[in-house]
Amino acid sequence: MRWYLKALGTRKIIEFIVLVIFVIFFLGPLLNLAILAFTGKWNYPDVLPHQWSMKWWTFVFKQEDIPQSIGLSFMIAAIVTGLSILICIPAAYAFARIRFPLSRFFLFSFLLTHAFPKMGLYVSIAVLFYKLGLMNTLLGVVLIHMINVLMFMTWIPTAAFRNVHKAQEESARDVGAGPFRVFLKITLPMALPGIIVASIFTFLNSLDEAQGTFLVGIPNYKTMPIVMYSIISDYPAYAGAVFSIILTAPTIILLLAAKRFVSADVMSSGFQLK
Amino acid sequence: MGILGVLLVIPSFLLLFVTVVVPIVVSFKESLSNKEGGYDLSNYKFLFTDKLMRANIIFSLEVTVVSVVIVLIVSYALAAYMRFNDGKIVKWIRNMYMIPIFIPSVIATYGLIQLLGNHGWVSRWVLLLGGGDIPRMIFDMKGIIIANLWFNIPFTTMLLGSALSGVPNAVIESAKDVGAGKLRMFTQFILPLTYKTLLVAVTFVFMGVIGSFTAPFLLGPNAPQMLGVSMEQIFGVFQEKQQASALAFFTFLLCSFMGYFYIRSMVKEEGARS
Repeated sequence: MRWYLKALGTRKIIEFIVLVIFVIFFLGPLLNLAILAFTGKWNYPDVLPHQWSMKWWTFVFKQEDIPQSIGLSFMIAAIVTGLSILICIPAAYAFARIRFPLSRFFLFSFLLTHAFPKMGLYVSIAVLFYKLGLMNTLLGVVLIHMINVLMFMTWIPTAAFRNVHKAQEESARDVGAGPFRVFLKITLPMALPGIIVASIFTFLNSLDEAQGTFLVGIPNYKTMPIVMYSIISDYPAYAGAVFSIILTAPTIILLLAAKRFVSADVMSSGFQLK
Repeated sequence: MGILGVLLVIPSFLLLFVTVVVPIVVSFKESLSNKEGGYDLSNYKFLFTDKLMRANIIFSLEVTVVSVVIVLIVSYALAAYMRFNDGKIVKWIRNMYMIPIFIPSVIATYGLIQLLGNHGWVSRWVLLLGGGDIPRMIFDMKGIIIANLWFNIPFTTMLLGSALSGVPNAVIESAKDVGAGKLRMFTQFILPLTYKTLLVAVTFVFMGVIGSFTAPFLLGPNAPQMLGVSMEQIFGVFQEKQQASALAFFTFLLCSFMGYFYIRSMVKEEGARS
């Protein structure tokens, strides 16, 4: 054993141990939930269940508020994503391509959404919503979800539009294409990966948003994460694990679908200008 | 053309104005008003004289500072490791480290509770491997810090990784040629090229932790509380809007220092490009 380890080199061994610690730390909680969700019986101190079953899945879907919350969450996420695309993509194009007065001021103003600690900002918003009668309304929930995404929904597409070479647009214009056609046929397709990443990120962000909704949406707008809060305290761990998988599934599916677009560079362009 | 640019930007700016600027002004005014309808500093005085509130503030600052330091060290090491090494293990880490960014915070917190809790998966494994009982890890300060590491290390690694990939290989080669040691190479070449991103990372982690709610709400101690939890309670349970506003504003002040440097470095960057 010892000669084998020596042949491998201490460096390799340390690397391996570090990797194992990382995997346990970051994937352990998720793996644990995945196992719990398909458990029938699991007594302490066994490390694996001795009976597997799907019974908690039927239990979860029989609860009244759970399917309802799934529908509500997806509806809100769709509204938020649609509205943000409508509002932010034109602005991103303007920042990347049009010279206009105060453009830098406008571009940086989006930093404000991330320049305050979240719960502090939400409480301030709730104070305002309370005065405006927006507490416990769909509009209020949608607005609070949009704050989180405004910055990267504008910045990631801005970076994407900026990366489209002007020369390509100009050559299209030289052969007689109008500005709108150039945008549709050249600029938009080339910036699309960035826009897709931003949109997916927006959708997931809205799907997962918990604290803001908890503050302004209770009691009528119980989205999935809000239901999860009560599941944690009221239901057995198995049911919580099942619901966790339901809540995480859209994330994993969308990420796998967009895997080739999502990179550290594209993502970090949403949080800093480069 | 300039008018068009402004028109494209105005809708998103208005949204930003209504959801960020107005609430902050309103809550500032609210935080200064006292029960008799006049204006004074009584709500702020409460923050610093109330024993429980003072404990909460100190507790939050401790958790935040410890989390920020650990997150930065681990993330920088991980990002640098991925940048300057190649091989199977690096490839694995590269493929996996971004997963936690997309996992809903409620789910991750729940997973950590199940994994680390009393009779959780870790304690079962430790028992199997002959380790005896493990010390309590959640429902106190350690739990919140562990959760903060889980949430912030991947994101920070992503930011720093993208900055480090911007360090040209030529710089490192030439540093090696003039015989710079590892430490000198880091302090004189790599750090100066990435310190702006480091600043962004510090800001995001600091504000993320100070304004966090889900993790401390679910796996923190009942007292003292993190400011996010305490704020929600003052607003939602005690219905003390003025006090909640004052607390929100206090967290803004704590972060304004960091926020200022973040915004300034972004503005400088953008100024250099145009």
